[in-house]
Amino acid sequence: MKETISLSLPAKAEYLHIVRLTLFGIASNIGFSFEQIEDMKVAVGEACNNVVLHAYPNKAPGMLNIQFDIEEQGLDIHVKDEGTSFDYENMIDKSATLHDKNLNDITVGGLGILMMQALMDDVQQVRTHHGTEIILSKLLRRNEDLA
Amino acid sequence: MKNDRFVVDQQETDEEYVFHLTGELELSVAPQFRSALESIVGQTEKPLIFNLKDLTYIDSTGIGIIISVLKLRDELNAPFIVREIPDSIKRLFDLTGISKFLHDEL
Repeated sequence: MKETISLSLPAKAEYLHIVRLTLFGIASNIGFSFEQIEDMKVAVGEACNNVVLHAYPNKAPGMLNIQFDIEEQGLDIHVKDEGTSFDYENMIDKSATLHDKNLNDITVGGLGILMMQALMDDVQQVRTHHGTEIILSKLLRRNEDLA
Repeated sequence: MKNDRFVVDQQETDEEYVFHLTGELELSVAPQFRSALESIVGQTEKPLIFNLKDLTYIDSTGIGIIISVLKLRDELNAPFIVREIPDSIKRLFDLTGISKFLHDEL
């Protein structure tokens, strides 16, 4: 079983709440817990922020395409742009937590990626011909698994 | 669906400056929040308070603003307090590691 729901919108901050609302609707439909949905909202929000902030630096904002793949075992959310590649691999190195840092040493860069990785079960980056795609996966944890 | 529009309610009492934050603090409202803070964040004579009781969502942009306020208040040696952090937001503060810099009383 795989069903897909797609959303295409201008890559502007003012539209990102639509992504979160849609995600909430889909994820609650397929049985994710409130806490899991909150985790996904933050992680997907960060992937979308990166598109808004980095994908289209020197031209009018392009499109932000979101694809929700509803799978047997959970949800895969594809966040796609058609712009400049965000240097995700490089940012992973900078995404250390602030736990071992002093206030003077802390920087904000990398917090978004840190949260994406911590809040999802899997995060993949794919470079396409047209731009970048981040795939965020969350597994459904069924009640019997918790027993 | 509940309206999660971001609202900053700013109050000054004899003892403190309080910013009560409601709704979703994220990229699109960051400029609004930064400009609301601008004239107050450098005032050192009273503690600056953020009350997060009605905050429903925060992203790295919002956490970044809190970090910049923390740094500035620390440089000025001026008190900064974050009160009534909801559990869902506390999780993100713990995850990113900013919790250890936040105080909920003087």
